[in-house]
Amino acid sequence: MRLTALLWMAAKSAFPHDYRYGTNRPWTIAAKRLNPPGKKRRKVFVEPIANEDWHVLRGDTVEILSGKDKGKQGKVSQVIRRRNWVMLEGLNTHYRYVGRSGDYRGTYIASEAPLLLKDVTLIDPTDRKPTDIEWRYTEEGERVRVSVRTGRIIPKPVYQRKDGIIPQQWKDGPKDTSPEDTLQKTYMPSLKTLEEEVMEKLNIQEDRKPRKSYWY
Amino acid sequence: MGVLSALTRGLLRGADRMAEFTSKRGPRTFYKSRGARPTGVLTSSRKFIPVQAMIPQFVVPNLEGFNLKPYVSYKTPAGTEEPMTPEKLFSQVVAPQIERDIEEGVFNKENLEKYGLEKTQDGKLFKLYPKNFVR
Repeated sequence: MRLTALLWMAAKSAFPHDYRYGTNRPWTIAAKRLNPPGKKRRKVFVEPIANEDWHVLRGDTVEILSGKDKGKQGKVSQVIRRRNWVMLEGLNTHYRYVGRSGDYRGTYIASEAPLLLKDVTLIDPTDRKPTDIEWRYTEEGERVRVSVRTGRIIPKPVYQRKDGIIPQQWKDGPKDTSPEDTLQKTYMPSLKTLEEEVMEKLNIQEDRKPRKSYWY
Repeated sequence: MGVLSALTRGLLRGADRMAEFTSKRGPRTFYKSRGARPTGVLTSSRKFIPVQAMIPQFVVPNLEGFNLKPYVSYKTPAGTEEPMTPEKLFSQVVAPQIERDIEEGVFNKENLEKYGLEKTQDGKLFKLYPKNFVR
């Protein structure tokens, strides 16, 4: 096959259907080194879970049911849907060296391993025991997670931004438009284009006409 | 295909033929512009005459009392305004006038220009189609 055709095929489909998704994000260098374009690995079988049935969200507190840290509770830091994985903060860890160069063996850190969804359950917020979860509708029609054992609603975890900014506590800088000015509605719908309105406002007289040109 | 797949497992051989051939590549006699519009006319004696009309000029209005700044505060909640569609524009700008004229009995199908609807884009400075201005 020609080289150009091969290069085009490599660039076109970003990820083939049998791409093995790992803990590294697919666009990082580490992921590209583990999964270069031509590589084929043994297939991993992932239980198909519909989007409506997925009940663990980032920021939830969950309990581990099996594995090294069985019985411990932790907060979900990352969810990888492609493999039904859930990564908790500081739990299910193994230790490795990071950043080695030359003779220096690197920093010894704890890195988390992912857990499958079936090895993890959500926790009832009031009695802090693990429960089974169902999606049900409230009287207002809102879809919520309800623990089967006690019937209590488990609220969605508060969304925390990755850059650590809490919008309510944000202090406006000199270049920030205040919320009142941003939400002010000043648009008057009209049939003129922006350019015509600006010319009218600034009293720009334009009598020249562009030369007639043809395009096909 | 087998030989090539063995090669591609490591490093892809050869240059990238599909890369854009910009003015930074090629021999020094190769000239190509990067898209800047000309601001004058080059004469036959290789002298460049700048034309004032081709040089863009910024017309800045008076910004007193203008409160919008480059960035938006994080405290702003998401807006609730729907995007403007042609149907909404028509129903807000043109439809009330047409309804008023129909009630008075003055509506004339031949005279739609008075509501702002144009028959042809020919005499206009800013044509909508083909669009002859850069936004």
